Amino acid sequence: MIEWLTTTNHKKIGTMYIVSTLGFFCAAGVLAALIRIQLAQPNSTIIGTHAYNQIFTMHGTAMIFLVIAPFAIGLANFLIPLQIGAPDMAFPRLNATGLWLFIIGGLTVFAGFATYGGAASAGWSNYAPLSEITIGTGAGEDLYLVGLTLTGISNILTAVNFVVTIVCFRAPGMTFWRMPIFTWEMVATSILILMAFPTLTAVMAMVLIDRHMGGHFFDPAQGGNPILYQHLFWFFGHPEVYIMILPYFGVVAEIIATFSRKPVFGYVGMVISAFAIAGLSLGVWAHHMFTTGAVSNPFFSGISFLIAIPTGVKFVNWIGTMWKGSIELTTPMILCVCFLLNFLLGGITGVMVASPPLDYMAHDSYFIVQHFHYTLGGGSLFALFAALFFYFPKIFGVKLDERLGKWFAALFFIGFNVTFIPMGFAGLEGMARRMSTYPDVAHLALLNGLSSIGTAIIAVSVVLFFVNVLVSVRNREPVGNDPWGGYSLEWLTSSPPPEFNFDELPPIRSKMPAWDVAEGREVSRS
Amino acid sequence: MKTFVLFFGGSAIFGAVTGLAYWLVAHEEATGTVLLGCMAAALAFTAAYAVIAEKNADLPGDDPAELPETAAGENLGIFTTRSAWPILVAISSLAALVGMLWSPLIGFSGLIALILCLWRLGAESARV
Repeated sequence: MIEWLTTTNHKKIGTMYIVSTLGFFCAAGVLAALIRIQLAQPNSTIIGTHAYNQIFTMHGTAMIFLVIAPFAIGLANFLIPLQIGAPDMAFPRLNATGLWLFIIGGLTVFAGFATYGGAASAGWSNYAPLSEITIGTGAGEDLYLVGLTLTGISNILTAVNFVVTIVCFRAPGMTFWRMPIFTWEMVATSILILMAFPTLTAVMAMVLIDRHMGGHFFDPAQGGNPILYQHLFWFFGHPEVYIMILPYFGVVAEIIATFSRKPVFGYVGMVISAFAIAGLSLGVWAHHMFTTGAVSNPFFSGISFLIAIPTGVKFVNWIGTMWKGSIELTTPMILCVCFLLNFLLGGITGVMVASPPLDYMAHDSYFIVQHFHYTLGGGSLFALFAALFFYFPKIFGVKLDERLGKWFAALFFIGFNVTFIPMGFAGLEGMARRMSTYPDVAHLALLNGLSSIGTAIIAVSVVLFFVNVLVSVRNREPVGNDPWGGYSLEWLTSSPPPEFNFDELPPIRSKMPAWDVAEGREVSRS
Repeated sequence: MKTFVLFFGGSAIFGAVTGLAYWLVAHEEATGTVLLGCMAAALAFTAAYAVIAEKNADLPGDDPAELPETAAGENLGIFTTRSAWPILVAISSLAALVGMLWSPLIGFSGLIALILCLWRLGAESARV
């Protein structure tokens, strides 16, 4: 126990990130189930309005701040030193500090449920002055602000560590242009974190000053400006979307290349598109504010449309990698194909709402709920599970059961689409998001009923995943260094790897050092 | 290092151009211009640091023909495996922040503990 609490080893830190994010995922999943129980029927009174507000706020907050982004950070913690041939991260103590700030910050956010007024309830975006003067007056709101400040600092520390490790600790011969795509995506993600998270920390501090120290940053009655909050929040908030997706783009590229038995198609294009997405994502924040009438809609609409181009490049790269490949439909590969289908729908609906006239129609409706769940749930979450199946043998030395894995993938895909496709139609029929109930009009009862059935299917699939973990760990069939036939350096060391990762490194002469070794290609030492 | 400068410098130029374009179309709204300007300045600072301070950096990872032996064992440095200070830094940060809002005594104690933990963490890092 003490060993884990005091460790500075990147693999143990990565593992603790992954395990803790799965814990937060289960908590967020229970909250999602409560939302769907409440909305399964019209005019429902199972959950009161204030409790419902807390539930959807904490569901969103947990998924965004405590599950999807930090899982990628945990995975990167585990993988980056292995992929670049380093013995550890550049700053191991800083790394451990980031982990503990994240865990303590996350628990602090959830501790709001134990307070008298309940947890934060102003939505994950925590708009001021709503979070200051109307409903967010309890201690839960303070804990939310303090918790997110701590996790924000954790992200900044970790991003610095990633950049320094990748720049300075690459093994001899591992030039930038030989790095695996996942590591490249983490460079772009780290830059985004460094640009976006300080703004979040600042805006959380400003809300705390307003709440406790007599500040009036966002109170219009005292000369403050609520639009300022939206600018500052979304300058963090939109890049955060890409912080949550870019690492998973890397995961998908790694898995598709491995199971197509082909190098990544358009490697340079893949890298440049990651940076193009990162750069453009910093210039689109106010497309979340079209309907305020206080921003330049053409400017933000134009840049939002532009993001579709590098994202399209990535789709071409993934499909090009599969094209004429020797495709093996393992569970991680199936989940990646599901990712492509879901994320395409998320992307297309994103292009739709990048157009201000359409956004005015869809704003704050269930159409938007469908859109962002297809990008972050259908996209990131499917890639997250693909990563779990793919890297589980490397992290824990155990391969997850493939038969149960395929059942999981099928149920998760069906459940996900049954849940979220009806939400788009409910939005088009005028159903507003964040409402604790709705009248029995149009097809809302049918559509919401379907969504709730879909959520039950997702719940079954997630239970099946954890059963798979238990069964596989109990059976504990030994795996070799490389159970999948991967191409990057991490597959050349044992599973799990030794304390400082490699007993011996081969000369690195290409982007695919593991395939070079496996195929006995010339790797001259001179 | 050239690639690092290329990406950070390129991102800085992108930020500056976007900031300028934003100012041209929405100069009555200063927040966006300031945010984009700060972003460009931060990225430019990082790229400039790499150009000025690290121009002679000799990183084994930058040489495509380098052998693994050149950066192995003691050449690579010593990595710590354990430290109690990171978790204590996190706990004292929480105490300082929560205390500042609800209880000055806890806040002040947390702040003192945080300073002590950071000092010990730094001292430990300087040793190994």
